[in-house]
Amino acid sequence: MTLTNRQYFGWFFLAAATLFACLLNYALRVHLRRAELVSGAALLGVILLLTLFNARKKLPFLPLLRASTWMQVHIYAGLLSCVLFVLHAGWKLPQGGLEASLAVLFYLVAASGIAGLALSRWVPSHLTVLGENVIFERIPALRATLRREVEEMVLASVAKSQSSTIADFYEMKLRHYFSKSRHLWYHLASSGRPLFKLLSEVQALDRYLNAEERAIMTRIVERIHAKNNLDYQQARQGLLKAWLFVHIPLTYSMILLATVHGFLAWKLS
Amino acid sequence: MTDQEVGRIMQIPLFRQMDATRFPVNTSLHDILLNDGRLRRFKAGDIIVRQGDYGNSAFIVLSGSARVILDKLTDAGVGHHEPVRKSFSGALAQLWRNSRLPEVRHLSDRAPLSDGQNDFISQSDAVFVQDINAIVKGKKSVDLPEGELFGEIAALSRTPRTTTVIAGADSEMLEIRWQGLREIRLRAPEFKAYVDRLYREHSLKNHLRETPMFRYLNDATLEIVAAATEFLTFGNFEWYAAYSKIREASASERIHEEPVVAHQGHYPNGVYLVRSGFARLSEAYNNVERTVSYLGRGQTFGFEEVAWNWKEKRDMPFRRTLRAVGYVDVLFVPTAILEQHVFPSLPASELPRPQKPRADRGWSAASLHPKISTKMMEFIVEQRFINGTAAMIIDMDRCTRCDDCVRACAATHNNNPRFLRHGPIEDGFMIANACMHCQDPVCMIGCPTGAIHRDSADGRVLINDLTCIGCATCANSCPYNNIQMVTARATDGRPYYDKASNQPIQKAAKCDLCATQITGPACANACPHDALVRMDMRIVDKLADWMDQR
Repeated sequence: MTLTNRQYFGWFFLAAATLFACLLNYALRVHLRRAELVSGAALLGVILLLTLFNARKKLPFLPLLRASTWMQVHIYAGLLSCVLFVLHAGWKLPQGGLEASLAVLFYLVAASGIAGLALSRWVPSHLTVLGENVIFERIPALRATLRREVEEMVLASVAKSQSSTIADFYEMKLRHYFSKSRHLWYHLASSGRPLFKLLSEVQALDRYLNAEERAIMTRIVERIHAKNNLDYQQARQGLLKAWLFVHIPLTYSMILLATVHGFLAWKLS
Repeated sequence: MTDQEVGRIMQIPLFRQMDATRFPVNTSLHDILLNDGRLRRFKAGDIIVRQGDYGNSAFIVLSGSARVILDKLTDAGVGHHEPVRKSFSGALAQLWRNSRLPEVRHLSDRAPLSDGQNDFISQSDAVFVQDINAIVKGKKSVDLPEGELFGEIAALSRTPRTTTVIAGADSEMLEIRWQGLREIRLRAPEFKAYVDRLYREHSLKNHLRETPMFRYLNDATLEIVAAATEFLTFGNFEWYAAYSKIREASASERIHEEPVVAHQGHYPNGVYLVRSGFARLSEAYNNVERTVSYLGRGQTFGFEEVAWNWKEKRDMPFRRTLRAVGYVDVLFVPTAILEQHVFPSLPASELPRPQKPRADRGWSAASLHPKISTKMMEFIVEQRFINGTAAMIIDMDRCTRCDDCVRACAATHNNNPRFLRHGPIEDGFMIANACMHCQDPVCMIGCPTGAIHRDSADGRVLINDLTCIGCATCANSCPYNNIQMVTARATDGRPYYDKASNQPIQKAAKCDLCATQITGPACANACPHDALVRMDMRIVDKLADWMDQR
C-alpha cells in the first residue's frame, strides 16, 4: 500500500498534534496546573469539530471545502480525540456514574467510527466484484419482480407439461426463498453455502423433469442467482448504511453527557 | 409537401439549374424535396435560426426575406438563459427558501387555491416571448432575398449556428433536412461547389489556422492549402436514433457498421483533420480489430506517417484504421500539398521522431494510453462516452453508496436530483446517468424554442426553464437517457395544468453542473470518498491519470 500526499499530511498532523498535546499535558502537570480542564476542553472542541462534518453534508450549496477534505479531517481529528481522551481520563474506567457512562459512550463512538472507516474501505470493492450493482432502495421492487416472474414460469410449467413437479418444488423450496431477503449473516460472511445448497436441490430435481420443464427450470435458476445477488447487495449495502445508525445517535448522546460533565467540572473547579 | 408545391419549388433557379439525370430514379430531386423538405411561413421579426443553436436543416427563401444579424447577440437576447451565480447570502438562503416538495416553480401570479382545485395556466404563459425587434435594433444585418440559401454549413457539419436569422418580412421558406442536403450535394456538382465555396470563404482558413501543423504558414501558402483541402463526411448524423439498436449488436458487428475513413496498411495519401464528430483508432489483431484510442474535434490522423515518409524517404503505410463513430466530419489535406508547402515550414522539433514498430505487448497493453486498459478503451468508445465533456465517473471500489451526491444534487435542484446513480460499469468505474454536456449535443437538435442551448462562456448544455415547453424532443433525442421530463408544481405540491390541453405542465430537467451555485458541481464536492468526478472524456491523458491513481 502506498501513501498519498494527503495521507502523509494527515499522519504528520496527527503525530505533531499528539506530541504537542503530550508535552503540554506534561508541562501542566509538572507545574501543578489543572491539566484535566485543558485536555477536557480540547477534547470537547475536537468532538464538536467532528460533528461539523455532518452539518457540512446538509449544506452542499455553500463553499465549505470538499466533503472528501472534511472526511480526512474527520478521520485524523477522530484519532486525535482518542489521544486526548487518554490524556484526559487515563486508561482506566472512571469511578463516577456520569463519567463512566461518558467513557463507555466515547469507547463505543470511537469503535463504531473505526469500524465504519474499515467497512467503507472494505465493502465497496466486494460489492463491485461479486455482484451486479443495484440501488439499495430499488432492491424490494426488483425482488418482487423476480418473484412474479418465477411464479409465472411455475404456472406456465403446469399448463405446458401437465405436471406439478416444478410447482411442488416451488412450494417446498422456492416460495420461502423468493418471499423476502434471506441469509443475511451468510452474505455478510461472504458464504455461498445457502445458494450452493439450494442449487444442489435443483440439481437433484433434474432427473424428474422433461425437456420442457428443464428449459423452464434453467430460467428459474437464473432468477435464483439474481435473487442471491440482491440479497448480497442488500446485506452489504445495508451494513454500509447501518453503522451510521449506531455512530451518530451515540455521538449526540456523548455530546450531551460531555456538556453536562464539562459544566459540572467548570462549576466545581 | 404536396407534389404541386414541390413542382413550384423545382422552378426556383437553385434547383432549376441542377441536372435531374444525375439523380437516381429511386432518389430523384423531386423525391428528396418531397421527403426532406417542408414549407414554413414566418411573420416579420420571427426568429428562424438562433446563434448558438444546433440545427439539422438549411433554409431557402421562397418569398419575403431573411435578415442575418451580423453582430453577436447576447445569450439572453436570443432566448437563452444566462445562469447567474448566487451570492454567498443567496446560496445560504436556499437553506430556508428551498421548497421541501420537488419541482416547485412560480409559473404564474395566481390566487390561492381552494382544496381540490387544480392550477390552470396557459403553457404559453410560461414562455418568455422575445422582443426581437428591440434586440436587433442598431445591429448590423444583411437581408437575403428570394432564392438564397442559409444555414447549410451548420446543417452539414453539425456545428452551432454562427448567426441569428430573423424574417425580414412576412416570408415563406423551404426547410431542407441535412439528409436531403447531403444527397443533393452528392449528386449536384454545382451545389457541392456552392456549399464548399461558402465553407472555404467563411470557416476553413480559421480551422486550418487552429491546427498546430499549419501555424507557421503565411496567408498565401495557407490559401493554397485551403484550396486543396477536401471536405469529407462519414457515418450518419442521426447516429443517436440507431444507437440503442447498435448497442445490442455484437462488438464485431458494431465495428463493421462504422464507415472506414482510412485503412491500416494503405498508402498514406494525406492527413485527416477531425472537424466534428468522433473517430475510432483501431489496429488489426488476428481476425478482428481492437480499439487503441479515439479522436475528436481538432485532432489529426496520418500526420506521423506522412511526415516520417517525407523526412526519411520511406513508405510507411497507415499504422491504424480510422473509423467514424456515429459520424465524423473531416478535412483531408493531400500528401503532395503537405510535402510541398507544410513540412518544409515546420521546425525539426515538431516533426515526428523515428517510428519503431510497436512490439506486440499482449492483450492488455494494446491501448495507446498505457494507463487505460484495452477493455476500458473499447467500453468508452462502444458506449459513445467519448462524447462527454463532463461525464460523471464513479469509482465503485470507493463509492460506499451513501448517496450524499444524490442528496446534494437534490438540495441544489428543486429537491429532485438531476442524475441517477446508476449506469454501465467497466473495470470498477461507473459512468452514471448524468448529462455529459456532450461535444455533439444531439439533444439540442429540434428544440422548437431554443430552450436547450450551450452556454457560450463555458460550453455547458443548459435548459432555460422559462422557455421550455415540455415537448420532450431533447429527452427523446438524448442517446444516453440523461434528460428527464418532470411535472412543474405549485408551492403546495399540486401540478400546474395547461389550459389548452388539460395536461400537467412538463419541463425538461437535467444536470447543469450547478451553473447557478457558487460551489461548482455539488455531486463531486459532496462525495466524502473522492469516488466521483466530472471528466472531460476528450482529454484521454487526464482520464488515464485519474483512473491510474485509483
